[in-house]
Amino acid sequence: MKIERFRAWIGACVCLALGGAAAAQVPYQRIAGAESDPSTWVTYSGNYQAQRFSLLDQISRQNVAQLKPAWMYQMRHPGIVETSPIVVDGVMYITEPPSTATALDVRTGRPLWTYTPKIPSDVIIIGSPPVNRGVAVLDDKVFFGTVNCHLLALDARTGIVRWDVEVDDNKKGYYVTGAPLAIDGKIIVGISGAETGIRGFLDAYDPKTGKRLWRTYTVPAPGEPGRETWGGDSWQHGGGSTWLTGSYDPDLHLLYWGTGNPGPDWNDDVRPGDNLYTCSLLAIDPANGKIKWHFQFTPHDVHDWDATEIPVLFDIEVQGRSRKVVSMANRNGFYYVLDRVTGEFITAVPYVKQTWTDGLDAKGRPFARRDADPKVEGTLVFPAITGAANWYSPSYSPKTRLFYHAARQMAGVYFKGDAEYKDGTPYTGGGGETKNGDEASGAVMAWEASSGKLRWEFKLLSPPWAGLLSTAGGLVFGGTEEGNFFALDAENGKPLWQLQLGGRVAANPVSFAVDGKQQVAIAAGSTLFVFGLP
Amino acid sequence: MSTERIAVLVALLLAVTAHPLPAQNPAQLDKGRQLFLGMCSRCHGAEGGGAEGPSLNRPVLTRAVDDQALRTIIQDGIPDRGMPRIRRMSNGELDALAAYVRSLGRTAEVARQGSAEKGKAVYQRLGCASCHLIAGEGVTFGPELTNIGARRSPGYLRQAVVDPSAALPRGGTDVPGRGFDEFLPVRIVTREGREVNGLRVNEDSFSIQVRDAGNHLYSFQKAGLQTLDKEFGKSLMPDYKTRIAGADLDDLVAYLSSLGGAK
Repeated sequence: MKIERFRAWIGACVCLALGGAAAAQVPYQRIAGAESDPSTWVTYSGNYQAQRFSLLDQISRQNVAQLKPAWMYQMRHPGIVETSPIVVDGVMYITEPPSTATALDVRTGRPLWTYTPKIPSDVIIIGSPPVNRGVAVLDDKVFFGTVNCHLLALDARTGIVRWDVEVDDNKKGYYVTGAPLAIDGKIIVGISGAETGIRGFLDAYDPKTGKRLWRTYTVPAPGEPGRETWGGDSWQHGGGSTWLTGSYDPDLHLLYWGTGNPGPDWNDDVRPGDNLYTCSLLAIDPANGKIKWHFQFTPHDVHDWDATEIPVLFDIEVQGRSRKVVSMANRNGFYYVLDRVTGEFITAVPYVKQTWTDGLDAKGRPFARRDADPKVEGTLVFPAITGAANWYSPSYSPKTRLFYHAARQMAGVYFKGDAEYKDGTPYTGGGGETKNGDEASGAVMAWEASSGKLRWEFKLLSPPWAGLLSTAGGLVFGGTEEGNFFALDAENGKPLWQLQLGGRVAANPVSFAVDGKQQVAIAAGSTLFVFGLP
Repeated sequence: MSTERIAVLVALLLAVTAHPLPAQNPAQLDKGRQLFLGMCSRCHGAEGGGAEGPSLNRPVLTRAVDDQALRTIIQDGIPDRGMPRIRRMSNGELDALAAYVRSLGRTAEVARQGSAEKGKAVYQRLGCASCHLIAGEGVTFGPELTNIGARRSPGYLRQAVVDPSAALPRGGTDVPGRGFDEFLPVRIVTREGREVNGLRVNEDSFSIQVRDAGNHLYSFQKAGLQTLDKEFGKSLMPDYKTRIAGADLDDLVAYLSSLGGAK
């Protein structure tokens, strides 16, 4: 036996001994064809269409009440856990707050490696808690962003750093909380920081080298289209963060990515105009980063209604005609359906009480009420400053053709304040107070995806901060502020199972299979839980 | 000059020498007043007269003895005592708010009516201790009152005695949760027809925990209930409007206000 062949043989034995827990080899085709292997969860939202839907049906309406914990993993660092795990080839990749990546043996929960980059003690994180929502995997690497605005590529086998690049200057308030998106030959990453008056952008990096391939600013500079929607020099600090993970249509070859609020958030004195492309959905050609079309949900936003929520892609019949659409449960309280080829507005409906607009025109542009603008002494507006939706994910089931969203019903008081720009300091111009407690509530809502018509809702005590997962087993999983992890009947919203996890659920559920047995994972408090049937 | 007056004078002198007050600037005070009306007055009352939160129109604020402490409290709140952090503020806004709050301490404090000592006797005579606890003495059905004078204004306490259902305290802690009504009366009927009346201890989307007047604890799955009435706008405390005379009420409020070292 030649030495090489002997090595290969030894390698195969080691692999078997670990029960198949080999490190990931995830070519792009595996992510694009995620549906062909539902035992994996290979990208942030489960598939490029961002449906957060699992084709696994082993856990069903009939047996979900028997779910039991399989294992738990306790985070090493304190903080809010918003991670959405990636599971492939026997390994679960998670992030821990604020910027740690960890690989776990998916059979036992035992760590295989963990990596924490050095974060400077004077790191600037303004606009959100120091969270991280997950990794991306591609080929033999794991990618994640950090609160000091670096993008790292780790060896999927060992966690050893392959490369580490600075996305932008944290001293100016740029940072990363969202999971990157891995597509063919590119790692797409967005940034946070609109509350420090950054100029937002979306970046693409070479997965092999970390070289930046393109950058697309979400706020146009002089000479670029849309510049006229900003008064004076306000575009320089115009915000437009890209802080969540977008979706991708490999056939149309378009990325869909939402953008956040203009800066300053609540004091609009310096930025007359529509403030493109803030609070918008961008369709971007991944070959060069060019904006193919845009749709602005909230022109000249003054309430911090980021449109960074997950853009969900599906094909559906709308008024008798088959359409390729992208939909979004927006923070501003409306559910939108757009044509994802052209960006054409199809429909939008309010899904919670809202008092900021007298409806929308035929093209989806709001008739925003100026009496709902923030004032020094405060203005009461529905929804609250944290929105009717936020960072957490919705779900679309191709089986029920329903769009599931955990809605937040809450009012807020909006204050207008001072806004002076200084590098790396708050540039918010006010703030808000939420009317929480018994005055607020939440609901898991199921809408007919093409129209937004409510099919059913399941009431929650408090506005939720946890995402939803729908499955081919006819279930919708979700979590509550009070720590319940639950399963509803996807057809009618009837609760079928719940367990108190002892800590706030502020994460997205995922599903996968281990040795042919379906599992569901969710983080609550500082613990990641994995459930399966006994 | 009495000893008391000397003490007050010394305290004032100390306050002035150790912590020089910001210069009086009418525009700044005006801005501070506007900010205060929006963000602070709901709990601390217009002009800082107090409400659900303590009054601020006194020369020494127990938790904000100097301007740095005051600015920190305005910026961060006191989350474990029910004062939320409202919003991020610029240095100019903090200056204006701090100056305005300090200016409230220079306005004449409303003269206290009643005698705390007599009020203690009223408290005992009315049997308040059959539901409330002060410094370890009493029953724990209603709110503990050991430090109530530091947390609530006299006006709020007066109203709580004569019309307890007018305002339930809003939770400032994790149980039952920030912003939730505390001591909320609930009426529960199970599917089997068993009725329980009591106070909500805690709740989630699927279950509710309740304490009845005998301090017995109950836990229910909501799916197993026929009726779950959260009786907002009600209090299980009897209203004392007709059971307590003017002078006694003044004395009782003076006594409650004295609890917790509040001035």
